[in-house]
Amino acid sequence: MPKRKNFKRNKKKSHNSNFGRLNLFHVPKYGFKKKCPLSGKNAPEIDYKNVKLLKKYITENGKILPSRITSVSQKKQRQLTLSIKRARFLALI
Amino acid sequence: MNLYEHTIIAKQSLYEHTIVAKQSHSASQLDSLKTKYSKIIEENEGEVVKIDDWGLLNLSHKINKSKKGNYIHFKLKGNGLTISELEKTEKIDNNLLRFLTIKVKKFDLDKNYFKQESSSDKEDWKKKKE
Repeated sequence: MPKRKNFKRNKKKSHNSNFGRLNLFHVPKYGFKKKCPLSGKNAPEIDYKNVKLLKKYITENGKILPSRITSVSQKKQRQLTLSIKRARFLALI
Repeated sequence: MNLYEHTIIAKQSLYEHTIVAKQSHSASQLDSLKTKYSKIIEENEGEVVKIDDWGLLNLSHKINKSKKGNYIHFKLKGNGLTISELEKTEKIDNNLLRFLTIKVKKFDLDKNYFKQESSSDKEDWKKKKE
């Protein structure tokens, strides 16, 4: 029964496809990172002069990434948006 | 002595102030800009703590048809009067593209994110590579 075999193979493929991912940053193998990368000990300080850090949290077009993708805490996200907008005004980003 | 006046003089807070000057300016012109604005700060109850020179940087987008800018960064103590007098003169100044003042709780004096690599640093790096 060749038809049935094909059906099974298709099912397996769909299991490993990209539909399980929520976004481009999410790797299903590692699960979700729940911790905020900007709070806690040894976390980098958010500052409008620190362009290297701010560039991690914007897209290629310069849009600010939402915290549900980067898993930044709400308090830090507010500071981040402010410092990104300051850096934009000075044309650093 | 008026009580109200006394309170105004006593209030001092910390500010960070950055200026973006035009690309065409020479080193001597930039020095004159620095002295001009530090004079204004000191005349109006302020105090300059540190002046950082970030150098000529590429602008991420064009501002008034210019692609590059000279960045100068002040760290200063002062009150509302110093800032208002500073910005009043900067608004009219044709040499500047942008200026920005930010009130901070603490200065980070040892960090410099725009530190330019000196020639000795580059040589060290080359030696390490070899």
